[in-house]
Amino acid sequence: MSGLAHYFEDEGLATVIVALVREHIVSMRPPRALWVPFELGRPFGPPGNAGLQRRVLSEALALLDQACPEPLLRDFSDESIEIMDDADWRFPATLDSSSPRAEATGVLPVWQLARARIGRSSYGISGLAPEAAVEYIERYHSPQPMRIPKGMAKVSRARFAIDDIKAFYLEAAMAEGGHPSTRQLLDWFWGHTLAGALIREFQETARVSEDSNLELIAGSLVPAGRTISFLRG
Amino acid sequence: MVRLADIPEPERTVIADLDCPAYEDTPPVKPPSPAERHVAIVSTAGFILRGERPMLSNETGYRAIEADVEDGDILCSHVSTNFDRTGFQQDVNVMLPRERLLELEREGSIGKAADTHYAFMGATSPPKLEDKARELGRSMLALGVNTVVLAPV
Repeated sequence: MSGLAHYFEDEGLATVIVALVREHIVSMRPPRALWVPFELGRPFGPPGNAGLQRRVLSEALALLDQACPEPLLRDFSDESIEIMDDADWRFPATLDSSSPRAEATGVLPVWQLARARIGRSSYGISGLAPEAAVEYIERYHSPQPMRIPKGMAKVSRARFAIDDIKAFYLEAAMAEGGHPSTRQLLDWFWGHTLAGALIREFQETARVSEDSNLELIAGSLVPAGRTISFLRG
Repeated sequence: MVRLADIPEPERTVIADLDCPAYEDTPPVKPPSPAERHVAIVSTAGFILRGERPMLSNETGYRAIEADVEDGDILCSHVSTNFDRTGFQQDVNVMLPRERLLELEREGSIGKAADTHYAFMGATSPPKLEDKARELGRSMLALGVNTVVLAPV
């Protein structure tokens, strides 16, 4: 991100970064940056807080009004935003634990409710329907892998199917609203769903695969602290 | 929250080890006055539009998000598992605050919100983005954009 700032400024555009990792900004010295105290993936703060999002944007743009003979790095004016768990949050259905596909079938109506409530979905980069995405991963290493439409390499399809499965479950988890923390949602997904277990096992196989492309995506499937190999120490 | 020291291991080491090449200080452009600011957002979330090919790791190109694209057609194809996506799943503005930018335009805090915003793949090493970044910079200038808010994930 800081590299882009250097290139854009050099081309004649005024830039400001909304920065999540302060140390990276200090190291790469873009002309102007506002450090914000939010978790990675949320540069403008928690979802649904339009006022806070606007304040972040306004404070970032206000840096353009300050002289910056040297790289300018300011902290967002409010560091008091705490990440709290929602003690009342529960996944709004009982999961079928007979198989990953059965579990996904049970999640489908919940996900549809979530889509209706949120008004959109971030699902859809694999080109597979949710249950098909689960089946694709489940059968990936079997003697009879699932046949898929052309247009994407097999390994890429697996990576994006896994991204979609995560979106499918985590969107469904918000079907009844609430304010669960990211940690709460991820604890649930990785610790209490067959889909999470399926992806972790897939990641473990990919990590030691002789298929270099599969090995390459292994690091993009499961957060490092939630992989089987890390948890086993 | 996100000082490196606050991030638990092993993610902390992963993030600390990210490629941060050294740059000479770039002389900052003299910014336009607030009323003259024509502002675009450039994200590194690897956004694609529904139906497009997802961005791959180390991809150097960028994608455009036009004003008439619905929020539901904006997908995130970044490869990293280190950042939260649940916020974005509930509210696009967590990563791409284009509604907030339009509000700033309406209240007169900026001159204009750009019609198009852009996304790169943040997992790509910054020097590899240089050619496409410069190309995009010139393209934005040609469209009248003079100010860029850079939004990482």
